[in-house]
Amino acid sequence: MTSRRSLYAVLVLSVGLVASTSLHESVRASTSRNRVDVEAANPPLLPNISKLPHTVEVNLTAAVTRISLQPHVTTEAFAYNGHVPGPTLDVREGDHVIIHFRNELPEATTVHWHGIHLPFESDGSPFQPIQPGESHDYAFTVRNGTAGTYWYHPHPDRRTGFAIGKGLFGAIVVHAMNDPLPPMSEKLLILSDNRFLADGTIDFPDPASLHGGIDEENGREGPMLFVNGKVMPTISIRSGEIQRWRVINSSAGRIFRIALAGQSMLQVGTDGGLFEKPVEVKDLVLAPGERAELLVKGGAKSASTVLQNLPYDRYSPHTRPQDWDVTRDLLTLTTSGAPRVSTPAIPRSLRRVIQLDTTKVSAVRTIVFGQGMINGHTMDMARVDVSTRVGATEIWEITNIVGMDHPFHLHGFQFQVLDRDGVKEPYVAWKDMLNIPKHSTARIIVRYDDYPGKWMFHCHILDHEDHGMMGVLEVKP
Amino acid sequence: MTRRSAKATWFLMSLFLALVFVASVAAFSSTSSRTDQVQQNQIQRGRHLVISHACGDCHGGGSNPAASGWLDGMRDTITQQFRIGPFLTRAKNLTPDVATGTGSFTERQIFNALRYGLRPEETADVDITSTTPGQGNFPLHPHYLAVPMPWPSWRHMSNEELYAIAAYLKHGLKPVSHKVQDSDGPPDFWAGEYTVAKIGPHPAVKYPTANETGN
Repeated sequence: MTSRRSLYAVLVLSVGLVASTSLHESVRASTSRNRVDVEAANPPLLPNISKLPHTVEVNLTAAVTRISLQPHVTTEAFAYNGHVPGPTLDVREGDHVIIHFRNELPEATTVHWHGIHLPFESDGSPFQPIQPGESHDYAFTVRNGTAGTYWYHPHPDRRTGFAIGKGLFGAIVVHAMNDPLPPMSEKLLILSDNRFLADGTIDFPDPASLHGGIDEENGREGPMLFVNGKVMPTISIRSGEIQRWRVINSSAGRIFRIALAGQSMLQVGTDGGLFEKPVEVKDLVLAPGERAELLVKGGAKSASTVLQNLPYDRYSPHTRPQDWDVTRDLLTLTTSGAPRVSTPAIPRSLRRVIQLDTTKVSAVRTIVFGQGMINGHTMDMARVDVSTRVGATEIWEITNIVGMDHPFHLHGFQFQVLDRDGVKEPYVAWKDMLNIPKHSTARIIVRYDDYPGKWMFHCHILDHEDHGMMGVLEVKP
Repeated sequence: MTRRSAKATWFLMSLFLALVFVASVAAFSSTSSRTDQVQQNQIQRGRHLVISHACGDCHGGGSNPAASGWLDGMRDTITQQFRIGPFLTRAKNLTPDVATGTGSFTERQIFNALRYGLRPEETADVDITSTTPGQGNFPLHPHYLAVPMPWPSWRHMSNEELYAIAAYLKHGLKPVSHKVQDSDGPPDFWAGEYTVAKIGPHPAVKYPTANETGN
């Protein structure tokens, strides 16, 4: 047992070293962040080149670029139209959307329109790779009732985590034909994180190394936290003003738990658009890929507060980072010295969300999340894991049997949560992302309205997805 | 052919078909009961191995399958939780409950756990043909069962014996819903503990070694 003890001493020492390295990195990150004070400006919009009514036609190119991802350091990155995050696709319900996409990357890619209900051919899944130098037109019509916040990102086979980590992600905003909320200033908050080597290059460790193994286990996280690509930026608000924040977690593995220090927020929507009624929240857990719409009110004149990332333990005990329980600041919200403005009234009822009918269910699926596996299998694109037909309504019972959270994502179809660990969901909402916490079960209901094809369902921790924690749902005509 | 002989032929044919039917039913049921018997024998063999290899000493119930808590995982932290260096490890629920036990694992995954020490939650349901990470379906980053699970000794049982244990756990036990907290452990998931230098080769080296008489 003596030799065993000494082994643990070495082991603990090496774990400590890893931890202290990341602590140094985060200290460096926070020092550099104190020097910058930039506006968390919304990313630019993709210009609409169409003259036709109800049509949005845009050009989108993914290419290698040199860009400042962290203050004062230029890094080689991948970018959409030269921007990280990419420009926002801004559309309205009913719009016909055409995206002329060109791949100037040195590797195959796709563009996945995360959360959008669209034909299979335009899903940008691993089934539809676009080779280097090739172009592809994505086309879809935005359905009525789907107004909300979505995002786009690459989804190539086994390379999604790498491509998003290199800088490929952007927002999609779908505006409603009739928005129940009064007009107000809208802010996009695209949350991400990253990790860099001393020379500024993005850190992707050798998969066979201990660090590579920890990334594969946890999903790659970085000590630098970004809002719209900026470290600790500022948002200005006026006293009494209400702003509409559209928050997207575009990180590869980090689950954010956001809170405004000293004040609550009003959550009005989630992945697939508005709730039926606003819900007051003190903090909000957002898994990778998940979105939220929040109403935030300006406080007293010339006051300021911070949006924080509170600790959230999604990790397995083996690879939990040493600093997981540290609260981190994301942005400063400053209330200007200008006179107070009158606060608009927020309707108590936002819209009707029709509950899917549990009496119409034709199948109950059991989905078991192991570590890196679904139902004991890793991804095989030639295999169909779940087969169904257009028009069917199904319940999926998703059980996570391991000691780490796994966020579930279904392509193509929005679903509703029925219950989590037997506790009925308090309100009905449209979702395409659902975090399944460690050792827990959730039941969702989904209806395949239309659009036959082979749709992916997977864990949205990208390292897990890339290592095969993904399945194929075939919806037959 | 006369009407009578046609009738007789019809009768004989019916009789023949009926006999064929009865015989095939008998054959089918005897095959099926033979399969049942094979599985019963396998489960009984697995039960004997589980009792005699002290699985219950850590996983619950001691050596008595009638004891409460038989193999359903840690219920007391004195005898079923272990302090290994800085880590706490815990005996898991081995009953076939889907969410908290072995219900979602195949017998092959349980076999791979006993032969190679690989956690079924994190190891695909595949035949493993190598012990080199990244080769022959052996995971690049293997996740091993926590210390002190004595799989390095039990891997020396035959394939038949290990599959018999898996059959008993999957088909011989009633599922019990009992969630056991995950074990702690090092970031290499105990890989450093299970090198050939520490646990020896499989199959074991030839008799006699320097410790053995050779008689």
